[in-house]
Amino acid sequence: MEEQVQKNAAPEQNPIVKQKIQRLRELYADAPELGKVALEKGIPDLAREFAAATTAVQNAGRIGARQGKVSELTGILPIAKGGAKRLRGLLQLLEGNFRGADKVGTLHDMRFVFLDNDTKLLFATAYDGEWDAYIDDFVTKIPNSLDLLFCNIEGWPGIHSPTIKEWLVQHQVAAEAWYVAHPNLTVAETRRLENVGKAVADFLDKVG
Amino acid sequence: MSLHEAVAGDLPLGAPTLDLHEIQATVLRPRPAPYFGTHLLFRIDDAQAGRAFLRRLTPHVDSAAGWWSAKTPWLDVGISYAGLKALGLSDDSLQSFPEAFRQGMAARARQLGDTGVNDPKNWDQPYGKGEVHIGVSAFSDSAENRRRILGIAREQFEGFAGVSVLAMQDFGAQPGDRNPLGYKDGIDQPAIEGSGVDPLPGQGQPIKPGEFILGYPGEAGFPLPMPQPDILGRNGTYVGFRKYQSRVGAFNRFLHSHGSNEAERELLAAKLVGRWRSGAPLVLAPEVDDPSLGADLQRNNDFNYANDPRGRQAPFGCHIRRMNPRDSKLTRLTDVNLHRLIRRGTTYGPPYDPNALSEADDEVPRGAIFLFISAKAMATIEFLQQEWINDGNFIGIGDERDPIIGLHEEGAAFTIPKDPVRRLVRGIETFNVLRGGEYFFIPSISGLNWLANLGGK
Repeated sequence: MEEQVQKNAAPEQNPIVKQKIQRLRELYADAPELGKVALEKGIPDLAREFAAATTAVQNAGRIGARQGKVSELTGILPIAKGGAKRLRGLLQLLEGNFRGADKVGTLHDMRFVFLDNDTKLLFATAYDGEWDAYIDDFVTKIPNSLDLLFCNIEGWPGIHSPTIKEWLVQHQVAAEAWYVAHPNLTVAETRRLENVGKAVADFLDKVG
Repeated sequence: MSLHEAVAGDLPLGAPTLDLHEIQATVLRPRPAPYFGTHLLFRIDDAQAGRAFLRRLTPHVDSAAGWWSAKTPWLDVGISYAGLKALGLSDDSLQSFPEAFRQGMAARARQLGDTGVNDPKNWDQPYGKGEVHIGVSAFSDSAENRRRILGIAREQFEGFAGVSVLAMQDFGAQPGDRNPLGYKDGIDQPAIEGSGVDPLPGQGQPIKPGEFILGYPGEAGFPLPMPQPDILGRNGTYVGFRKYQSRVGAFNRFLHSHGSNEAERELLAAKLVGRWRSGAPLVLAPEVDDPSLGADLQRNNDFNYANDPRGRQAPFGCHIRRMNPRDSKLTRLTDVNLHRLIRRGTTYGPPYDPNALSEADDEVPRGAIFLFISAKAMATIEFLQQEWINDGNFIGIGDERDPIIGLHEEGAAFTIPKDPVRRLVRGIETFNVLRGGEYFFIPSISGLNWLANLGGK
């Protein structure tokens, strides 16, 4: 506790923080002038981050980062011949409606970005827990949705392939940094709190 | 060609009939009631001796043919990864086993959530050190039959150099077939397609055999990858062996601090599990115990949660609703059939004593050794530990953990849904502490013979 107070009082005096600032100055030695200026101006803020830093990020199972209960999955997937046209068409027709994803119950978001002249797909999602845990459930519960999306990817072994986990891991790129505003709020918990909020509002409407 | 294609080609994908003569009896045969038995753990000190030991043992290992009758005592044999290595199995074959099995249960503590008091560093001897190579369990329906079957087992290892006995643990049903916390247990088991017996009411649609036995299609329509060669893998399965110490004093103190009379305490005890101590399920007997219901195999498991969507009868967090949520509404896309285990609970130590209230009572050696059997036991136990036991998110109750087998931090609570407002019961502790564990492969009878004769005699 005392240590914490001390850290907050003068983070720049903390030897670890000092070391980190020193390291940052070295890294930015060859930065453009405006970068160097920004670094010097930003040092008080950065020192506070450094002082607070306990490893907030953990491992999300085999690959990927997790903060609290929320994990990230980023994949860069080679698009199969004709796959870009099909996948873009499918995504456009869906107009952002992903009820299948609602059903999964752990997906906070998903993004699909076409890269390098439609030869690659960036797929990024934030989800609860470890994805391996439920992959078998996807196989028996929503095999079609996944095959429909990912048949457009080169080398997709099919959701029923026993090598599916290895395939996914091979295409996953671990994020270097991962920030979550509410690391303890899972999708299920968010929905529950939303309902609690509504119930309270209804109650207040009735008594007010 | 992938392993999956190689295996799927020659399998009937319709309704396979299990090769009962090949599968070890314990996989399908429930323990008798009452039951008497012993677990024996061995270390192989010499590969040749280890194989000779298996050759002597295998003729006494019972198959699952006629598994529905448990009148004659039987032995089963499981072999850990370290054991397979010690027997001289080839590297290619060793590498064909799943990663979690190769690492062993202690090394998977992170994935299993076996931390704190359950950490492998606190385990009893000889668990978690890679020394347990062979596990033999003897099951029987009487003390006399136990002596007989154990005598047969002893003849195979006593005075036999090259194999050491590391532990012998007797187990047996307590009066009334109760477990160390005083409950009748082991009631709900998955029904397995092709096993030759109609499911009991409430068991639901039989589950595809490949979930429990290697070489058959699972729920996804294809078999799981099998250890190689085929004769070793086919009709085999895995068991997660977990030894728990029951802190009976702590459990009773918890009941006493929240219930001022026996009726209140028994209701609370029932709410924690989802069944009365008699085995009668709360959704069928919500107000008072019904021992005749608890004892009736045709009725004691014949229920679902359709009429209890808000957990007013069986709380969402109770033990049996977690271990088999049946038709409960879950927050995540889940196929309940994929996360089932065949459970063989074996109780050891003195019977449950409702008046044991002291801290010394927590240390009396008594508890249960569970055999959790499945063709993907490692993955399933990790899933259950992470999702259904040490979390509550899957059923919409946040961080709450299983009150019976969960690992708890100070201040843990249990929610009992109730009208008009829920009751939050504080003071849940780790009532069952993990004291050891190992993964074993349970080969088929042919697999055992093949291993026993590796590299000639």
